[in-house]
Amino acid sequence: MQLTAGNISVSLAGRQVLHGVDIVLEPGQVTGLLGPNGAGKSTLMRALAGQVAHQGRIEIDGQPIIAMNEADRAKMITWLPQARVLSWPISVRAVVELGRLPWHGWRRALSQVDREKCAAAMELLDVTGLADRPATDLSGGEQARVLMARAVAQDTPVLLADEPASGLDPAHQISMMAALRQLAGQGRTVLVSLHDLSLAARWCDRLVLMKHGLIAADGPPDEVMTNTTLRDVYGISARIGHDACGLWLAPLGLTGGESDNE
Amino acid sequence: MKHFGKRVWTGVVAAAGLLAGTAGALSGPSVASLNVCTDQLVMLLAAPGQLKSISNLSRDPTLSPLYEQAKQHPINKGVAEEILLVKPDLVVTGTFSLHNTTSLLRRLNFRVEEFKYSQSVETIAADIRRMGRLLERTGTAEAMASRFEHQLAGLEPLACSRKPVAIAYGVRGVAMGKGTLAHSAIEAAGFTNMAAELGYEGVTAFPLELLVQDPPDLIILPKPTPGAPALADEILAHPVLARLKATVTGGFSSPAALSCGGPFTMDAIQELRALAPLLTPCRKAPGS
Amino acid sequence: MSRPVLISLLTVLGLAGFVLSLLIGPARIGPVDSIEALVAGGNEAAMIIMREIRLPRALLGVLIGFSLGVAGAALQGLLRNPLAEPGIIGISASASLGAVLLFYTGLAGASFLALPAGALIGAAICVLVLLAISAMQASTITLILAGIALGSLAGALTSLVLNLSPNPYASYEIIFWLLGSLKDRTMDHVWLVIPLMIAGWAALWASSRTLDALSLGEEGASGLGANIPRARVLVVCGVALCVGAATAVSGAIGFVGLIVPHLVRPLTNRLPGQLLLPAGLAGAALLTLADIVARTVIPERELNVGVVTALIGAPFFLWLVIRSRKELF
Repeated sequence: MQLTAGNISVSLAGRQVLHGVDIVLEPGQVTGLLGPNGAGKSTLMRALAGQVAHQGRIEIDGQPIIAMNEADRAKMITWLPQARVLSWPISVRAVVELGRLPWHGWRRALSQVDREKCAAAMELLDVTGLADRPATDLSGGEQARVLMARAVAQDTPVLLADEPASGLDPAHQISMMAALRQLAGQGRTVLVSLHDLSLAARWCDRLVLMKHGLIAADGPPDEVMTNTTLRDVYGISARIGHDACGLWLAPLGLTGGESDNE
Repeated sequence: MKHFGKRVWTGVVAAAGLLAGTAGALSGPSVASLNVCTDQLVMLLAAPGQLKSISNLSRDPTLSPLYEQAKQHPINKGVAEEILLVKPDLVVTGTFSLHNTTSLLRRLNFRVEEFKYSQSVETIAADIRRMGRLLERTGTAEAMASRFEHQLAGLEPLACSRKPVAIAYGVRGVAMGKGTLAHSAIEAAGFTNMAAELGYEGVTAFPLELLVQDPPDLIILPKPTPGAPALADEILAHPVLARLKATVTGGFSSPAALSCGGPFTMDAIQELRALAPLLTPCRKAPGS
Repeated sequence: MSRPVLISLLTVLGLAGFVLSLLIGPARIGPVDSIEALVAGGNEAAMIIMREIRLPRALLGVLIGFSLGVAGAALQGLLRNPLAEPGIIGISASASLGAVLLFYTGLAGASFLALPAGALIGAAICVLVLLAISAMQASTITLILAGIALGSLAGALTSLVLNLSPNPYASYEIIFWLLGSLKDRTMDHVWLVIPLMIAGWAALWASSRTLDALSLGEEGASGLGANIPRARVLVVCGVALCVGAATAVSGAIGFVGLIVPHLVRPLTNRLPGQLLLPAGLAGAALLTLADIVARTVIPERELNVGVVTALIGAPFFLWLVIRSRKELF
């Protein structure tokens, strides 16, 4: 499903965080959301998920999300927040099963379909072996995968993931992105925010760069990842290269400073 | 004839006492009382102008038998400062109350006399006499004490087919057991005190179930304080009490007559005796 | 342990507590005679004892225990804090204060409804204050300390009101309000609390799915479509109804809502919403058993049941604090 957002403005605590952002997310693609800290990435995601008050229009396949109640919206959009919160030592399986809440609602018992979706999600994120362990006992990387599995189990057309790969080791970062690509391949609309430039460039079909609450660049990685853009958005210089699989980037130093090691 | 003689003699003694009493009116010590039971004795025995202050509880109908009379006297809350202001020659109080206050008053060179709570009807006369000595109203006191002893001695055993059983049941489920004034009064009136029979001593918790299992003939209940709600009154409305066949009374002429010792206690005893024929077949109790 | 097995086990335990409570009392009535008197009548005295004295007491033990257990579990779920419970964080004490204010001052005209109305209001105000503090991203420690402070304040004010009461017995009744008792309760009390508690249970049950979702934090729950403000209202109302009704009739009984969720949680899948029913049943069992102990441990005397729950609960609380100190700090 196509997620269209027009002229989105958000102000938090009296401060304007987003200034009229336009973005269209297409199904079948992984869109990477990049930008320096404070650029407004999380806020934009929250607005798209309908979690924060905003001005402007957000629609899914033409239907405004404002008009939906929370329960229906949860069947359309999955939002995986940045903060990884697990309040109780519940088992990994129970965490993933929470993803099915919007679908079975009042009915306590999980249906066969629910169970299958959960099993598939755990398989995709390779946490099936951890199913009976308390989620709070796991390492940070394992918890990140468990929470992503929960998001996958929610099985919605749109997935918004806020920094799901941060703090993960390289192997797990790669498998997380691979999982997202697989979801996109199933026809879902995936938006993921990242800090790792190489990871973003290699695994995303499209990159959106933000700075100061505005979209600074939007397009395929080849077009967006240039030294000019990196200087303007991040204030860094980098070595950019290509190989058979895609781009790679190595940040070198800050622009306009003596730390330029070029 | 026997009765007539008794009455004449009582009258002579009373007249003598009255004369003696008035003679002492001007020279007796001024007195302040800090305890509701000593309040009663002071109100009964002090000459006009002797009584400087009595406790605020003296006006509470559920605690003070002479609450009506208490309204005309100045009251204190048992605080040493109030006593200082009043400057009595003598302070009377109970042994179980206000230790800090009494030691402070003694340190300030007040004469403090402490009275034990009456535990039995037998000690009431002695307390009356002692108060009379302290107030220098021995005549009045002697008359009152003699009359009390006389009436006590005159209580003949009830001629009933069996001894009626009573219990003084109170707030939050406490009963008056052995060693309390209420127990002594109940026994003097010719009843058996159910709480004492079952081995309960002093003022102690008494389970409602035992009341039901073997109901007494008479349950003496306190009266709720009007206009001042408290949970203590809940027990009075417990449905179990309504279902018992026992007679329930709290309506003595002095509701608090069994909590302090004095001539009113004798009145209560006689009221109790009068109830006996209603509870069990008795030959009419003589001289009641 | 599977959920149906757990529920059955706890129900049996609760029923056992109820039956034992019916059979134990100062009047020696044999078990068979007791049940017969309760159900079929017969011996007049036994019937009165069973129906008017023991039955309300046993019923209230079950009802209040259940309500406190459920309220404790719900509070822990909403506040995401395993140390939350109506007694510790001051809700029971506030309910006592509310009841005392309306009743002893004669504000409600000594109506039978003064006590429960006051207790409900007192409980609700305390929960709202705690919610406000919790919303300020307060840490575990802050919330518990705030609750303890509120409880102390409520206790002090209760004592003040009782001291100012014109009734001379009022100040002695502080023991009842602060430590709770089921002694000499009547069937009127039972009929009073039943509708209030049922409404409370319903409100808390309605919030149970959101409490589950809150395991993932507020953002996570929100993303799952949970209506968090609605859940807050439901829990506030539910806890106020449960704790308010219980306190109006029995005074403040603490620690039940702390102990039972902890005992029962390892036997469930630990989701807070799923914990409500087991915690309620375990609470019913615990309170009836505590009440039996309160009646029998010292012959000829009766302890306040709140003393018994405190004697079990306070050391338990201390153990919990020590055990989880790394997470709290």
